[in-house]
Amino acid sequence: MTIAPVELRARLASDYRPVRALRSPWARALSILPLAIVALIAAPVAFDVRPEANLGWLGVWGLSIAQSLIGVLVSGAALRESIPGRDWSRVAIAVWLVIPIAAIVAITMLSWQASPVSLRNQWWLVGGICFAGSAATALPVVAMASILASRAYPTRPLIAGSLLGLGAGLMADAGWRIFCHFSEPAHVLSAHLAAVIMSTIIGAMAAVRFSGLRGEKHALHEPVGAGGDHGDRSK
Amino acid sequence: MAEDHRLRELMREYQSGRFEAFDEIYASLAPALRRYLLSQCRDAAKADDLVQETFLQMHRARHTYDSSYPLMPWAMAIARHVWLMDRRTLSRRPWAPDDVTAMELPVKGEAASFVERSEVRRALGQVAPARRHAVIQHHLLGFSFKEIAERAGIAETAAKLRSSRGMAQLRSLLKGKSK
Repeated sequence: MTIAPVELRARLASDYRPVRALRSPWARALSILPLAIVALIAAPVAFDVRPEANLGWLGVWGLSIAQSLIGVLVSGAALRESIPGRDWSRVAIAVWLVIPIAAIVAITMLSWQASPVSLRNQWWLVGGICFAGSAATALPVVAMASILASRAYPTRPLIAGSLLGLGAGLMADAGWRIFCHFSEPAHVLSAHLAAVIMSTIIGAMAAVRFSGLRGEKHALHEPVGAGGDHGDRSK
Repeated sequence: MAEDHRLRELMREYQSGRFEAFDEIYASLAPALRRYLLSQCRDAAKADDLVQETFLQMHRARHTYDSSYPLMPWAMAIARHVWLMDRRTLSRRPWAPDDVTAMELPVKGEAASFVERSEVRRALGQVAPARRHAVIQHHLLGFSFKEIAERAGIAETAAKLRSSRGMAQLRSLLKGKSK
């Protein structure tokens, strides 16, 4: 029988206490829901709501709620990715990245067909406002999701962080989409989609940085005991 | 299957306050983890250190284990992470001449088996990465093809194919060496 080295055992015993296992990632993703609702209604409440005349309630609020829910789902996928051994396959990661982008493109095209509103003047200023507003709204959601992910043990922080940033970006943009009066694809796909991509990058960077700090804190290169102390005790 | 249930139960006990469960978990997982880490770093002493580091990280991340899933993939994922973190840290740290003292040198009596093992390791290193991983996971770590397929995101038949082609390549490499 292989016996645990004395030094390792002592080190673990020194900070041992019972722990409660984390809830399932999907259940934990639900704790982001209140923040998703705030992100959804913040811009419309603070500024304005786009005219519903052509799009209707479903076209304005319904599609945004759907986009926000996709964001919550992507955050759940990020939380699952943060658990060792539950990491997604390459195909699944591609699907998780492609579906939200495809959803944004589809919602943009639907909105444009139902209510074509072009942006003629100051496209850079309006684009800048939508980009900055959407990206800034995503930040608290990214922070919240990062805290949830860091409670687990992401072994691929870049992927987990990208997914949670993407989820936060979707939730934030769902709100800004309700406020923004312009449905022109060039504006939506440059300013709004760019904000979602920016949020994805911020999420990835935050996760990688946080993971680096955790690595330093855990001091990987403080060997527990001499290398030869293991395994040779097989009898 | 029974072993898997026993390990899940042990880990659940370890989470809920029975520290003694650690000894049984260590006894069950350490050999497989060591084989995996040895296949990655190809240095026995280093593998031993990494095994201990893996158990340390498993201890710190014990709350992330969900007992409705098998324990081994969870432990393996942590071991892989430990190995990658170690490699990354080493690549950032300049090599010190003092490291010579830490090198493992073969003793006379073990020379023959050491040569054999090192040849297998070297040949394994020449096998294409996807096939090598399939061979290691199936033949050394005991993962089923279904588990390998799930982890790699491929079909079960593709996992079998990778493993059998990897073994064939390994055999031909070793055959070439012996001639």
